[in-house]
Amino acid sequence: MTIPFDLLLIQVINGIVTGMILALVASGLTLIFGIMDVVNFAHGELFMLGAYLGSTVFLTTGNFWLALGAAVMGIGLLGAVIQTTTLRPLLGRDPLTTILATFGLSLVLQNYALWQYGPVPRKINEPITGHFSLFYLEYPWYRLLVAVLSAAIIGGLWLFMKYGKYGIWIRATTQDRVMAAAMGIPVPLVHTVVFAIGAAMAAASGVLFGPLTGVNHAMGLDFILRAFIVVVVGGMGNLGGSILAAIFLSLLEAFASIWVSPAQAVIVSFVVLILTLLFRPTGLFVPTPK
Amino acid sequence: MLSVQNVHTYYGKSHILHGVSIDVGPGEVVGLLGRNGVGKSTTLKTIMGLVRPSEGTITFEGRSVAGAAPYHLARLGIAYVPEDRRIFRLLTVLENLRTGLDRPGVPPERRDALLAKVYGSFPVLRERRNQAGGTLSGGEQQMLAIARAMMLEPKIILLDEPTEGLMPRMVAQIHEIIDVLHGDGVAILLVEQNVRLTLEVSSRVYFMEKGVVRHHAPAADLRRNDAVIHQYLGV
Repeated sequence: MTIPFDLLLIQVINGIVTGMILALVASGLTLIFGIMDVVNFAHGELFMLGAYLGSTVFLTTGNFWLALGAAVMGIGLLGAVIQTTTLRPLLGRDPLTTILATFGLSLVLQNYALWQYGPVPRKINEPITGHFSLFYLEYPWYRLLVAVLSAAIIGGLWLFMKYGKYGIWIRATTQDRVMAAAMGIPVPLVHTVVFAIGAAMAAASGVLFGPLTGVNHAMGLDFILRAFIVVVVGGMGNLGGSILAAIFLSLLEAFASIWVSPAQAVIVSFVVLILTLLFRPTGLFVPTPK
Repeated sequence: MLSVQNVHTYYGKSHILHGVSIDVGPGEVVGLLGRNGVGKSTTLKTIMGLVRPSEGTITFEGRSVAGAAPYHLARLGIAYVPEDRRIFRLLTVLENLRTGLDRPGVPPERRDALLAKVYGSFPVLRERRNQAGGTLSGGEQQMLAIARAMMLEPKIILLDEPTEGLMPRMVAQIHEIIDVLHGDGVAILLVEQNVRLTLEVSSRVYFMEKGVVRHHAPAADLRRNDAVIHQYLGV
């Protein structure tokens, strides 16, 4: 059986586009895990709240970019508040306590969204509506824009981590919290800022993703599950690994959906997850310098 | 300048320090000797705020600092070079130095001068500045740990067994750098197993046994009469 080349190319583009958004969500998740050993079960809800905040600003101003900026700032701030009030007091305790705390937070935020915004999905309109011809498809430019913007945000984070003064503080704290403190790095502040960055990245992906599927209170659930798979396959706390894993798994699912329905294609990710846990529990990819 | 009075420290339920008292004057090099497991390292960790004392007072330049956060103490002018060096292994040598250099209120000229100074004392660090800290040899890591502490422009350095596992040439270099720091007016609280080095560089020496200070004498006296050293260290 041969696969038509055009179909293959379309699926490659689809895979990369979803992969980049997933990478954006997963890199926030892995960053937070790497520095605080906190598995943030509320990450999907930050993604969802970002999308809602974006949609509210979008409905009042009609400006997509303003909505994106407001969601990033607002949810980043919310992340800082959540970290100081909920997670900071639990630092150094059994990881189970932070899992329970963030899981509880996720339920609270989800039901808050349901109460505040109601069960009817909202829509954010894409800022560019054009299409281009890709073989027999009219492919929306917006999907490419999403991939490019996600890549740009991740690239910005990478540059900040590599060269920025605070990036060095974050990497030092990730490697050795105690010694970082002994070097005068305000570790509690670094934790709060990292959580805020992770939350802001989740919010950005929520707004970017909004036009593709609509905004509803449960949109975080589906996404966060996949983000967790990505983080485990890429290696917990390994930023580069998460990004590679996000693209790798999305491509795999895109190819699988040539033969089976997209809903069934998700199974491929779970198979990779199980194989990874069995044979490479520290992640598929060699640790990158952090 | 640094005054530790009757400090008690626990690790969980085990009582490690049973009332330790130590004083270090401005610019003074003070040795802390004792057998393994008597609480020398714990004393340094307690001063640095890495372990919380349950009792006793620690004052630095007149202000009480017992139980203060380590990053606060670092900003006040206390630097810590731990026994296991604790280099940030995945950071480059320069990035390791920048963890101490990138603090608020250090103008660019001052940064350059500080870097030039440690590169002058440890030329190997300049050569390896873009290499990951984890790839350095043990001796080079020790140099980096001391250089990193110097980036804080500390008033006192807590130095935990800097010569452990080093070859004689490296030990001589550590000796040299302690002299340089002393010349710059930096106080040092030195925990060591190397008795000769400690007696050479220190002005006073404390002896610890089972979590308390048993004896305290000027290094000059100990150099003349080593009976005390036999008594507490069994060497």
